[in-house]
Amino acid sequence: MSFLPFAAAADTVRLTSQTRILAAILAIAFMLLILELIRRDRLQERYSVIWFVAGLGMLAGAAFPGLLQVVADAMGVRDTNVALFSIVLFFLLGLALNFSVIMSRQAAQITRLAQERALEKARQQSDEDRNGNGASAREGERQSS
Amino acid sequence: MRTLVFIPAWNEEASVSSVIADVRAHIPGADVLVVDDGSTDGTAATARASGVLVASLPFNQGLGAALQTGYLYALREGYDFCAHLDADGQHPAAEVARLLAEVEADRADLVIGSRYRDPDAAAQSDDYKPTFSRRIGIGVFRFFLTLATRQRFTDTTSGMRAANRRVMSLFSAHYSPDFAEIESLQLAVRQGLRVEEVSVRMLERTGGSSFLTPLRSAFFIFKGLVVLLVGQFRPRRAEAEQ
Repeated sequence: MSFLPFAAAADTVRLTSQTRILAAILAIAFMLLILELIRRDRLQERYSVIWFVAGLGMLAGAAFPGLLQVVADAMGVRDTNVALFSIVLFFLLGLALNFSVIMSRQAAQITRLAQERALEKARQQSDEDRNGNGASAREGERQSS
Repeated sequence: MRTLVFIPAWNEEASVSSVIADVRAHIPGADVLVVDDGSTDGTAATARASGVLVASLPFNQGLGAALQTGYLYALREGYDFCAHLDADGQHPAAEVARLLAEVEADRADLVIGSRYRDPDAAAQSDDYKPTFSRRIGIGVFRFFLTLATRQRFTDTTSGMRAANRRVMSLFSAHYSPDFAEIESLQLAVRQGLRVEEVSVRMLERTGGSSFLTPLRSAFFIFKGLVVLLVGQFRPRRAEAEQ
């Protein structure tokens, strides 16, 4: 796939080469940060994929500003800035939702873990009571009232 | 036949031992389990000193998780029936025994103790008087839960219930941590369980205070409605394992 048409369209999106270099540096720094976080076990690989994709997107935008014009045209948006901000906004919205889903799952797991521990202790206590005093912790059949 | 009565308790040191004594007096054959929901006071120690089983959650998880712990214990330990009541002394154990009698007679799978089932009795009794904001909440939930389940419910937030093993297996798998009382009723009805209300009398709480301010009540009601709405889209009878 050739990027030439995108490069040719670059002048319609007015980015100075200074901005493009700055954006590229930021994108690369961002991806390096992600790598570093993984390396230090501060971020799990499975949650890092999306951030790498975001970093690559930033890099692509810096390298080929024409891409943004293509996307804006595809969206039917005249102003490329609006296109850029809406894409970023929806991306972050999706990501936040994704975190809520992960958080809910983990909250459920934590709850179950806490319950299992509590039950385990109660069961131990019940066994100790039964063996300790010899008296049965379980009574016979209850008369229904 | 084995019966478990469990009492979810969060910082109820003052009242938990009298509740335990009440349960022992009125439901003599039942095992008693106090589910200590991460209390920071002496609730667990007090309960243990009373000689009942205590399941202590390591941190506060909310009423739903505490109740689910009780259902889970009842299910795993092979109890035939279980019941639960609040630890604050609002629920007389004699009334819980009546609820248990209903499930034991197999007239229902889940029985709810209702303060408002019998309007005449409620008007006469000076035992329990809800505040204004609470009355609004009660009315709204009553209306929407009745609408959602097509079954008349008067006391949707009652924490006094008795259940059999079908309910135990359902609730130990699914129990909303935030909106335990209402969603669980909706769930049980949708799963085809027989849910029944029995009129009971309740007392004013002996310790603690209600957490409801008007703003919180409004938020509580809003959240409840969302939960009910979402609940209507859950699959029916999907996981009612026998």
